[in-house]
Amino acid sequence: MGVAVTIETVFFGIFSLGALAGAVAMFFLRHPMRVALALIGTMLSLAAIYAQLGLHVIAVFQVLIYVGAVMVFMIYAIMLLDVRDRSFTERFSPLLVAGLAGLLLLVGVLVDGLLRGEPVVTPVIREDVFSVGTFAAVFMDEFWVYFALAAVLLLVAEIAASAVIDIRRRGEDLAAARREKLDE
Amino acid sequence: MDGMLTLLVLLPLAGFLLNGLLGRRLGTGFVNVVGVGLPFLAFGVALWAWRTLEAGDGAPIVETVFTWAVVGEYSFEVAFYLDRLSAVMALIVTGVGALIHLYSIGYMKGDEGYARYFAYLNLFLFFMLLLVLGRSLLVLFVGWEGVGLASYLLIGFWFQDAAKARAGRKAFITNRVGDAGFLLGMFLVFTFAGTLEMDRINEAFAAGLIPVGVATAAGILLFIGATGKSAQIPLHVWLPDAMAGPTPVSALIHAATMVTAGVYLVARLSGVYLEAPAASTLIAVIGVLTAFLAATIALVQTDIKKVLAYSTISQLGFMFLALGVGAYGVAVFHLFTHAFFKAALFLGAGSVIHALNGEQDIRRMGGLARRIPWTFGTFAIATAAIAGLPPLAGFFSKDEILWFAIASGEGGALWLWALGSLTALLTALYMFRLLWLVFLGHSRMEPETERHVHESPVTMTSVLVVLAAFSVIAGWFALPQYLEPLLALPEVRFAWGGWHLLQVIFAVLLALLGLAGAAWLYRDGGRPADELWQRFRRLHRVLAGKYFVDEFYDRALQRPWRWVSDRVFLRLGDRLLIDGSLHGLAALARWSAAAFARVQSGSLHWYAWMTLFGLVAVLIWVWRYV
Amino acid sequence: MSDANLLLAVSGMLFALGLVGVVVRRNLLVMLMFLELMLNGVLLSLAVFTQLLGAEAGAVLMFLVFVVAAAEIAIAVPIVLLLVRAGRTLDPGSYAGLKG
Repeated sequence: MGVAVTIETVFFGIFSLGALAGAVAMFFLRHPMRVALALIGTMLSLAAIYAQLGLHVIAVFQVLIYVGAVMVFMIYAIMLLDVRDRSFTERFSPLLVAGLAGLLLLVGVLVDGLLRGEPVVTPVIREDVFSVGTFAAVFMDEFWVYFALAAVLLLVAEIAASAVIDIRRRGEDLAAARREKLDE
Repeated sequence: MDGMLTLLVLLPLAGFLLNGLLGRRLGTGFVNVVGVGLPFLAFGVALWAWRTLEAGDGAPIVETVFTWAVVGEYSFEVAFYLDRLSAVMALIVTGVGALIHLYSIGYMKGDEGYARYFAYLNLFLFFMLLLVLGRSLLVLFVGWEGVGLASYLLIGFWFQDAAKARAGRKAFITNRVGDAGFLLGMFLVFTFAGTLEMDRINEAFAAGLIPVGVATAAGILLFIGATGKSAQIPLHVWLPDAMAGPTPVSALIHAATMVTAGVYLVARLSGVYLEAPAASTLIAVIGVLTAFLAATIALVQTDIKKVLAYSTISQLGFMFLALGVGAYGVAVFHLFTHAFFKAALFLGAGSVIHALNGEQDIRRMGGLARRIPWTFGTFAIATAAIAGLPPLAGFFSKDEILWFAIASGEGGALWLWALGSLTALLTALYMFRLLWLVFLGHSRMEPETERHVHESPVTMTSVLVVLAAFSVIAGWFALPQYLEPLLALPEVRFAWGGWHLLQVIFAVLLALLGLAGAAWLYRDGGRPADELWQRFRRLHRVLAGKYFVDEFYDRALQRPWRWVSDRVFLRLGDRLLIDGSLHGLAALARWSAAAFARVQSGSLHWYAWMTLFGLVAVLIWVWRYV
Repeated sequence: MSDANLLLAVSGMLFALGLVGVVVRRNLLVMLMFLELMLNGVLLSLAVFTQLLGAEAGAVLMFLVFVVAAAEIAIAVPIVLLLVRAGRTLDPGSYAGLKG
C-alpha cells in the first residue's frame, strides 16, 4: 500500500522488539532473579506501548501495580527461596522438545489466523478520552460496583495469604516438635 | 333352578380353598368332612341337575355366569351347558370322584401332605366339572388346562422323589404338545364358525357351509389335543409314568375321568367330525393302533400299576376307534363302563399295594386271594368286566364298539374289526394274567412282607364293592340309545341283523379264550409263559421296552434340542454374545480408564502442554468452522 | 502492516512464549513469571482494541485485570513458599505425588 513509515510505527517497533526480547531472554536465563529482571523489562516496554497508545492511566498502573507490586513481591520470594536445586541446575523440563514443537504449532496457527483476518485500522490517538480525569469519572460513575468487588477480592486474597503463612508457621512448629522428639 | 350348575362347579372349588388354606391347621377331621363331603354333595347336585334335565325331557339347560369379554361383535361368556352328554359326564366325574375321595381317606392315612392331597383332588374335580359343563371351547380349555395342572400336581405329589417329580413334568410337557394342536384347532374353528360355543359350532358345521378341508384340519388339530390328554399314539408316553402319583389319583385322573376328556371333546364336537371323514378315519386308525400296541405292552409289564396304565391306554384306544367310525354314543358308553371297572381295578391295585406295604412288582405277589378276599373278589369282577365276559359292563360296550368297527356306514372296515378283536383277546389275556399272578398260585412274596399282609379298612373295601357292583350293572343302561337324540348312531351296513349276534358270540369266545389262555400260561407263577417267551426273546425285549418310544423321543427330540440349547443358546447366545458383549464393554471401560488415568500424571508441565495443544485445536476449529 | 496488526502479533507472540515457557522451564517461580507474561500478552491486545473502539470500559477492565493479577500473585507466592518448605525444591516434578 506504500504507507509511509511514521515515527509512531518506529516507536511501536522498538518497544515491541524490547518486549519480545525480554520474553525470549526469560527462556534462557538460569537464575530466577534474572528472569524476573527480563520480565520487568518486557513489562516496561509494554507500559511504553500503552502510553504511546494514549492509555496513560493504564501505563501508569502497569508500572505501579505490575512492576511496583507484583514483581517486587516476586523478587522477595526469589530472594527468600534461593534454592540451588535441580530446577536451578537443569533449566528445562523433560518436555522441552514437545514444548518447542507446541510453540511452533501455536505461532503457526496465530500467524495463519492473523493473515486470514482483515487488517485492523490504524489506531486514532485521542488524548482526551483516556485522560486520568475521564477515567476516574467513568470508574466512579458507571463501574463503582466492580471497583468495590475488586477491593473485596484484594481483601480476600490478603486474608488468604496470611492464612497460608499461618499454616506454614504451624507446620514449622509441628516439624520442630517432631525434630525435638526424634532428638530425644 | 338357576345357579344349580354353578353350585355344582363351585362346591369342589370351595373344598380346594378350604382344604388348601385351612386344612393343615384344622386337622384331618376337617379335611375329611370338607374334602369328601363336598364331592358327595356335588354328586347330589349332579343327580338333581340330571333329574331337572330329564323333567325337561332332555332340553339343554344353559346357565350364563358372566360375560368374560366382548370383542367387537363377538362376546365370550362363561356359561354352563347341561345336556344328556354332559350330564352323563358330570355324573361319572362326581360319582366316581366322590367314591375315590372316600377311598383316599384310608389310602392316604398318615401322609404328611394329607390336606394338600385333598385340596388338589378337589381342585381337579372343579376343573373337570368346568371342562365337562363349559359351553364354550374357551371354558372347556380352562378346565382342560386346569385338570392338566391338577394332574401334574398329583403325579408329583411326592415331589421329594426326583423320579416322581420328573414324571409330573413329563406329563405336563407332553400335554403341552397336544394343547398346541388344541389351540390351533380352536382358532381355526373360531375363524370359520365365528363362535366358540360348542352347540353353535356343531350347528355351523352341520349347516354344511364350511369347506370339508377346514373341517378336516380343525378336526385333526383338535384330535391332536385329544391325543395329548387321552394318551393316544404318539403322545401316550406320559400316562405310564403318571403312575408315580398316589393310586387313587391314578384311578380318578388317569383312568376314569381326565384321560377321557379327549373322548368327550371329540364326542362333544361330533358335528365337526361328521363333516370330516378323513379326520374320523385318522381317529379310528390311531385308536385301534393305540389299543393294540398298548395291549401288547401290557402283556409283559411287571408293575401292577403299569399294566393297568397300558390297559387304560388300550381302552381309550377302543373309545377313539368307536369315535372314528361315527359311533359317538358307543364311545361314551365305553367311557361310562370303563370308568367303573378301571376305577375298581386301580383301587383294587391300590388295596393290594396297601396290603403289601408298597410292593408293586407282580413277580413278588401271588396267592393273595385268601388273604385279602374283598379286594380279590372286586378285582376279579372288574377283571371279568374289562375282559368282556357277559353280563358284565365291559361286555356290552366293547361288543358295541367291535360291531360298529365293522358295521358302521361311516368308516367301518374289516381290518379295524380284526385288529380290535385281537386286542380284545389280548385284553382278556393280560387282565387275567394280572389276576393270576397277583391273587392265585403260590405266594412269591418276601417273608417280611407276607407277615404284614392285611385287608384294607372298610372305607376302602366299601368303595371297591360299590364300584364292582357298578362294573356289573353299568352295561345294562342302554346309554347309546339314551344319547341317540344328541349323538346319532351311524347306519349299519349289513341288512341281516343276525351278524350282530354272531359278532357277540365271537367276542364272548375271545374273552373266554383269553381267560383260558391266561389260566394255562400263568399257572404256577407264570412259568409256562416264561418258557414261551424264551423262544421269542427279541419280541419280549421290544415289548418290555415299550417299543422304545421314549428312547426314540430322547434321540430324536431331546438330544438335538439339548445340543442346540447347549451350543447355540448357552455357549453362543448367552456366554459369547450376551456375557461376551457385557464383559467386552466392561473391559473397554477399564482399558480406556487406564489409558485416561495415565493422562493424570501429576506433572504440571504435562498439563500445561496439553492446555497448549487443546488451545491450538480450539483455535483451528474456531477459525475453520465457526 | 499497520501498527495495530503489529501490536496484535506481538500480543500473540507474548502469549505463546508465556505458555511454552510454562511448559519448558523447570523452576516454579519462573513458571509463575511466565504466567504473568501470558497475562501481559493478553492485556496488550485488550489495550489495542480499547484504543481502537475508544471504549472507557476496556481501560476499566484492564485495571481490574491488574487487580486480579496482584491478588493471584499474593496467593500463589505463599503457596510456593509452603511447597518449598515441605519439599525443599522448586521442581514441580517432585510434587507429582500430589495428584491424588
